[in-house]
Amino acid sequence: MMHHIQVERVLRETLQTPYRDLVTRPTGRAVRCSIQTAIAGGQATLTCLDFSSVGLVDFSCADEVVAKLLIDPPEGTFVLLQGLTDEQLVAIEYVLDRQALAALVRDIDTGRAWPVGRVGADLQTAFAHLLRVGPSTAAALAEHLGWGAAHTEDVLEGLARLRLIRSDDGCYATPLVA
Amino acid sequence: MSRVVEIPASFDDRSFEQFAASFAAGPVTDRMIFDARPAQWASPFGLAGMLTAGQAVHEAGGPKPGFTVPAAEEVRRYWARTGFFHHAGDLFEIHGKLPRVKPDERSEVLLEVTPVRASEDVHGVVGRIQEGAARILAGKLGFKGEAIMGFAMALSEACQNIVEHAGTGGWVAVHAYDFRRRLGRWVVVIAVSDAGIGFRRSLEATQARRFGDRWSDATALETAVTHHTSRFRDPGRGQGIAGIRHYLNRWKGKLSIRSGTARIAVVPPWDEDIPMTEHLAPFPGAQVQIVIPAEETGGK
Repeated sequence: MMHHIQVERVLRETLQTPYRDLVTRPTGRAVRCSIQTAIAGGQATLTCLDFSSVGLVDFSCADEVVAKLLIDPPEGTFVLLQGLTDEQLVAIEYVLDRQALAALVRDIDTGRAWPVGRVGADLQTAFAHLLRVGPSTAAALAEHLGWGAAHTEDVLEGLARLRLIRSDDGCYATPLVA
Repeated sequence: MSRVVEIPASFDDRSFEQFAASFAAGPVTDRMIFDARPAQWASPFGLAGMLTAGQAVHEAGGPKPGFTVPAAEEVRRYWARTGFFHHAGDLFEIHGKLPRVKPDERSEVLLEVTPVRASEDVHGVVGRIQEGAARILAGKLGFKGEAIMGFAMALSEACQNIVEHAGTGGWVAVHAYDFRRRLGRWVVVIAVSDAGIGFRRSLEATQARRFGDRWSDATALETAVTHHTSRFRDPGRGQGIAGIRHYLNRWKGKLSIRSGTARIAVVPPWDEDIPMTEHLAPFPGAQVQIVIPAEETGGK
């Protein structure tokens, strides 16, 4: 089950102003607190933060809203970002990379999902394969990719630590799979 | 008798040192008169700097300084169009006739001198730049959508520096210029200035011990600008200046920050500024200047 949050609406309702831009730390903190409250009040395991209609996202706000949410995510919840412009994505990727974090991003038009931030080539490859083949064990994925078992497990655990995939009794899956 | 603070005829970040030395020649609570009669031109850095000096006097409880307006009418008109006199009237006793000017949409003043005291002011500044100045940024400077957004982000972060660190209010102004002689292109200049505690005092509690006797305005600037250190221990802090540098690196822009008695510059290939200057005349708070050149094919 996915919880859909329109960030622009949260911004408007939280600040009680017509601003469309996510700028300044106080604004970011207020918006993140509202998002955390909304997530905590729901039952979903995947929360989609939809940035459609948001104007500018500056570095400070990207840190307050996205990076801090990912550092301290509500228990059992995965976060997906969508509706981002290229410029917003640049700011978000930049703050995530500086703090060795990563986030899952989805293109609204194509439905394509991919991780951004501090995600190396092997993690990108493993994520893309999991997305394509569905839930899998490390051994199955290792065979599929032609990688060693230990390396594959390290990569999958790395993705799980970044909260880009879920790990359940030795089975790994992207949070996009119900 | 009043002490005279001389306003340079051409007032930009370089001649600012002449102004700062004149301002620092005696106590900030002296009776002063700012003499702008010879002024021919002022960059947003100069305009914001004069207001910062007036603000510092006001906050120190000094007598309201006098301000003699430029002798040249076209200079008075330009300064009026920048919004300078609107705010100067609160900080100075203005001597001389001020022109009435109407807003000019074709003006190279992208953002009038605007006070920044709180987070809401930053929202206002960012909104106005995107709505009002986008046409000039796209036309005169050849900025594409991505560059305009990046520009607004840099502006937002520079203004937030006041809100987060200065401990008092400050000023921001944005103008576009034809930099034909120095660069052969148009540039857009952001100036942000405050009369607050400055970088050294802001970082002192967390950084001074590491430097011992070497702790100074220069080491504080280096810590903030080169190492992106913030007074906050939160690992996500220090993104502001880092973000500005990230943007400027992409668009070959220049960043300079003056605080206290030192000035640091991140110098692009087209400029020959000195990366670090020390032992300058003391000046309150911090003064940030960002210069972004037009796209090589887009500037008109």
